[in-house]
Amino acid sequence: MTSPSPSIGMAAFAEATAPEPAPQGAGSHALRLRQGLTAWAGLIPFFVFLGLFLVVPTVSVFIRAFGDVEGSESPALVEAMRGLFPHYFRESLKLSLYSALIGGVIGTLLALVVVRMQRPRWLRNLVTAFSGVAANMGGIVLAFAFIAALGTQGLATKALKTMGLELPTQFITTFWGLVVVYCFFQVPLMFLVMLPAIDGLKPAWREAVANLGGTSLTYWWRVGIPVLTPAALGGMLLLFANSFAAYATAFALSTGSAELVSVQIRFYLQGDNITGQANIGYALAAWMILIMLATIGIYLLVRRRAERWSR
Amino acid sequence: MVAVTSTATDVAVPAAADPPEAPAAGPRQITRSNPLVSITSWLFLFATAAFFLFPLVSMARFAFQRVPMILFGWSTLFDRWTWDGLFTAFRDEGFGPTLWLSGRLAIGTIVLTLALMLPTAMWVHLRIPSVRGLVETLTVLPYVVPPIALVVGVIGAYKESTPWFFNSQFSLIPFYAILAMPFTYRSLDAGLRAIDLRTLVDASRSLGAGWGTTMFRVLMPNMRTSLLTASFLTATVVMGEFTMAQLMGKFTLPVFQAQFYLREVQGGIALGLVTLLATTVLLAVITFLTRRRGAAASVAGGI
Repeated sequence: MTSPSPSIGMAAFAEATAPEPAPQGAGSHALRLRQGLTAWAGLIPFFVFLGLFLVVPTVSVFIRAFGDVEGSESPALVEAMRGLFPHYFRESLKLSLYSALIGGVIGTLLALVVVRMQRPRWLRNLVTAFSGVAANMGGIVLAFAFIAALGTQGLATKALKTMGLELPTQFITTFWGLVVVYCFFQVPLMFLVMLPAIDGLKPAWREAVANLGGTSLTYWWRVGIPVLTPAALGGMLLLFANSFAAYATAFALSTGSAELVSVQIRFYLQGDNITGQANIGYALAAWMILIMLATIGIYLLVRRRAERWSR
Repeated sequence: MVAVTSTATDVAVPAAADPPEAPAAGPRQITRSNPLVSITSWLFLFATAAFFLFPLVSMARFAFQRVPMILFGWSTLFDRWTWDGLFTAFRDEGFGPTLWLSGRLAIGTIVLTLALMLPTAMWVHLRIPSVRGLVETLTVLPYVVPPIALVVGVIGAYKESTPWFFNSQFSLIPFYAILAMPFTYRSLDAGLRAIDLRTLVDASRSLGAGWGTTMFRVLMPNMRTSLLTASFLTATVVMGEFTMAQLMGKFTLPVFQAQFYLREVQGGIALGLVTLLATTVLLAVITFLTRRRGAAASVAGGI
């Protein structure tokens, strides 16, 4: 756990939140008391920085989210749950759910296959290195890649056509198109999350099952799957959060028209061009933060459980 | 299931069992040599590889082949490869200034991050190790506030109250430092843990060095890898960040790329591919750097 890996984004988050042994307190009680205040003083720049550039914006989101909207009695936070908005939230949540489930299953299988195959020795390193890049590839470049592959004139679209499989027009901007595109960064992220968990499966457990007369199937059903479940669940929650927060890819694929919360927020920010509705943008952002908070909170709980077997 | 019970009885009467029935092979070989599983594994790997490589290969063809889009297919695979698209991008009047702005933002973010996070991480290690967990938790908070929500708050908090700050090209820097904080802090923290911080500081101080000398001539050279990792990771984030730059109206490289693509499809895709390659190289360098140190660290950890 101590060796750092060059991950950014959610993969780094997965590693950062792995519990570690608590550091032992140094120094005598009296000394600590005396040092207390000056010691905390050294952290002031850090706290001020976090306060100004993370806490103040977040608080401002919530303050404006409780502001009012023209033509309505209720605060924006409530108004953002009416009309078309629940539809955007449903689409975002659905996209996050499906891409987390599909990406989670494929990523876990990929990790299992890569750990199981020991023969080409470079395989594991190659897949890990590629995953490190692909997991962070979300953004406009990813959109370009998939327009080239699955766009109307895309190479994959044509290849599928010759095989008799015609994609619906503008497939890439549809819901399932987005799921496919998101899998490009979800699968590698899940792979990176599951790799340490699968490495943690001890050969001794497999031997113990065999000694007790169990088959490979028994092993997976009674040991492998139960041990991996918390890690897989945690990984999928991370994928869920990852996809829920994503903006750039969906924006670039749909040129701003995707019916997702993250993309729709933009309309309410563009120089208050919808007068009296600006607070709706803040309310949507507030709901996004709340959903992220809940997802990551559950993730941390699951994570603590998953750690039990990795020691 | 039948096989299992027969094995169990075989064990009870060892010598009597006929040779081919008795599974002398251990449990490992049973799973490893299953040809069906092996074939499925390979098929699965190939399918996954195809899924990941197809978009990249398509991108390369769109970027570097002067073939009408309609005609892309197997028959034109080797036709008219050219760098033209990329040069169109490089020559575009938007490219130079946006690359320059993104470059300066990256450097500014790196300097700010190191100036803020390195002393903080050192202070935590030296003076109050008991709050290490708390500080680490605080540094991952940015994950809870996605960039799209953060930028909404930034507009709400700063657009009208401090226009001189908000309208500056460089107002993105502190927010990029926030976005990068989870892994920059972790990288610096790991670097500090790998060196004997207290001894180095005590030795340097007792030889008469001030805090500045200790920091720049003793500690930072010893933490080169971790400083480089933190800097490169920050650079990758800044050079690719689109959401905040777009919504705060800053014309950075990714924002230019998104606009340019709508004007010049081929050039846009070519530029996208080149930035992707540059990021990959940067990440590969970091992997290489950390692997060397990681190997040393894991040996120490094994003891």
